[in-house]
Amino acid sequence: MFGSLLKNFSLHRPLRQPDFDAARLGVSAIALQAPAGSALPGGCAAVLVDRNGRSRRLAAGGKIAAHEGEVAWCVHPGPYSCELAPFAAAPEIGLRVSIAIDASDPRATHQRFDLFLASEGGAAVELNGFAAAMENALQRELAQGNLDLPPCTTLEEWNVFRAGFNQLMYTRFGVMVDDCVPVDLGAARDYAQVLEARLTQQPVEQQQVQAPAAITPQQAFVPACEDARALRRLFLELPCLMCAIRLAALPAGQEQFRQQQDLLRRLDLVSLSVGTMPALELRAPNEALAQDEQLRRARHSRCAAAALDEAWALLARIKNGGEAVLGTSFDEADRIVANLEYETAGRRLTVVATEEVAA
Amino acid sequence: MSAPHEAVCRSIAPDGGVLTITATRRPRAGRADVKCSVPGDAALAERMQQVVRLARHTEPRFDSRDQVVLSLDRTPPGDWRDWELAAVLADRMVRGVFAPRGPVSANGWSDAWHLGRIDGRALVNPPAGVLAGGAGGLPHLGALNGQPDPAAGVSSARAWFPLHSGGAEDSLGWVEVSVRPLSGSADEDSVTAPDLDPVRQAAIAAVLSASRHFDGRGQGQWRTTVRFGEPRFQGDSYGFALVMADRIARGREFLARGRIIASGSSNAWHAGKVESVEAREAKCALIAREAAAGDRVLLPKEWEAGLPAGLREALRARGASLACVERIGII
Repeated sequence: MFGSLLKNFSLHRPLRQPDFDAARLGVSAIALQAPAGSALPGGCAAVLVDRNGRSRRLAAGGKIAAHEGEVAWCVHPGPYSCELAPFAAAPEIGLRVSIAIDASDPRATHQRFDLFLASEGGAAVELNGFAAAMENALQRELAQGNLDLPPCTTLEEWNVFRAGFNQLMYTRFGVMVDDCVPVDLGAARDYAQVLEARLTQQPVEQQQVQAPAAITPQQAFVPACEDARALRRLFLELPCLMCAIRLAALPAGQEQFRQQQDLLRRLDLVSLSVGTMPALELRAPNEALAQDEQLRRARHSRCAAAALDEAWALLARIKNGGEAVLGTSFDEADRIVANLEYETAGRRLTVVATEEVAA
Repeated sequence: MSAPHEAVCRSIAPDGGVLTITATRRPRAGRADVKCSVPGDAALAERMQQVVRLARHTEPRFDSRDQVVLSLDRTPPGDWRDWELAAVLADRMVRGVFAPRGPVSANGWSDAWHLGRIDGRALVNPPAGVLAGGAGGLPHLGALNGQPDPAAGVSSARAWFPLHSGGAEDSLGWVEVSVRPLSGSADEDSVTAPDLDPVRQAAIAAVLSASRHFDGRGQGQWRTTVRFGEPRFQGDSYGFALVMADRIARGREFLARGRIIASGSSNAWHAGKVESVEAREAKCALIAREAAAGDRVLLPKEWEAGLPAGLREALRARGASLACVERIGII
């Protein structure tokens, strides 16, 4: 089971890039996979991850001495600057954010950025892709109302937003937000031109209406890649998440303790379910699964990964608000865990049970 | 957020009768997320399930714990699809995603529910109070809160403002700004407000021109149409709401999750200044009554010292927020 997961994963991670270009580090790339034994470029740290996702860091200077089975990344601490649009419908107003990768925190049991590299790193972490992931996480929190950035934000509201945003970025990606200011992106992203392009496309769409709805946008992805990536994330991140939830806030009283224990127990079962997940393309040993069922399974994996993102965001809110938030967030935690259970159970199914459709 | 266990949404059938869709919510217990029933028409029930599932794609929050059961009280005529909007709204009401203040009637159909778009309605001349889908009414689901459609070529946004006449007729009115890009041609940069008299049209054009001047962008770029929910009113306290709707339609302002409720005017929009208007107490009381979860209330800075005691807290308890603003634009 687990073997199939790793095999899938290595399929999509191309062989070591021979062109390890250290000059891009700190400019357009945050981290690059480096061949073992190569010299560490100045100012960079190395993160080595073994097959089980355990990571260790090497300080600057010297060679990358990787053990058998370890993958090495060169990480430049930054600072980096990027622009995020907090609302998809308001492209001309954004945030200019300056981020840095922290040196390892001796108090933490795991470094969040190292975990990010292990579970989502791939061959390279480009700054553009990283900014897109940050933007995605920010937009989701704003849409759900967990962070607020309303029109005519006052200074107090801005400070509350900044605290939540910093904690979200640290908890989800392991980066420190050094600076964040609202900016006018009108010069770079002209909304009038965007609308213009949409308007010129529209007559074409209207001609196509007669054809049956062929491909909905959510199907435009490669199931095998998406599935492997999502399962890899769940497999590596769920144990760390559970550990972090235990540490984040102490339950006040017996009742909360019981609720927290119950959530952790359910998360444990989800984690077990992920670790023993059947291969995407098999219905039974040596029997292939139909393509559309594979697609359905991959969609469940992707939704489970989205629920995992929400769990990290919730953890950030608990860390930010302390025990006061813990009491009120059990319903939200219950929803997220229920979604994880639902999606992983859906991922295991070979066919959608007919009574589920009818019931 | 507390959600009801049952919600009802109505729709007006082509024969003039009323169709009722009842939504109930119960623990899922391993069943399907949506279950639909239509008397004597299994195919239609399946279509309803599909519509509701597609429309859920536009929601940011997914909850797998509940099952929603939707039932139509009678079989609608064969190819009549106006019940679709009512089904979508009933599904949202029962989960607390959409919380209207009174009973809801809605007519509308769509071929793109997964984008939240509402294509049209079969009902001609909808009576007042009926949510009518499509052009001239509710073009997409986000418009319930005045937000622009993220996929449309013409961007339109609404903001609400207190209409105060000193009587029982006080209510929130809305102003809608739609902008369409000028394709760099010989077209004049124009502001039109078809429902209004020429004097007020000129006033609106002046406000928008001044606030866009303050903004530094948007001049000579857009063809603008302004509509009011209730075109007959006095005073100029709609100015702030108009400016906010315009900024949101042009994609230059952060968004609230709910509606924007603003009151204020200015003689210096070119400097971005927001100035006080009359009838503070009555308007604050009206806002306190009408605001719902997620709404953003914007008032002039000069009102801050004299706000009714407890207004801010009452709004916050309901999930809305309030700011007293001296100047528009980024902090």
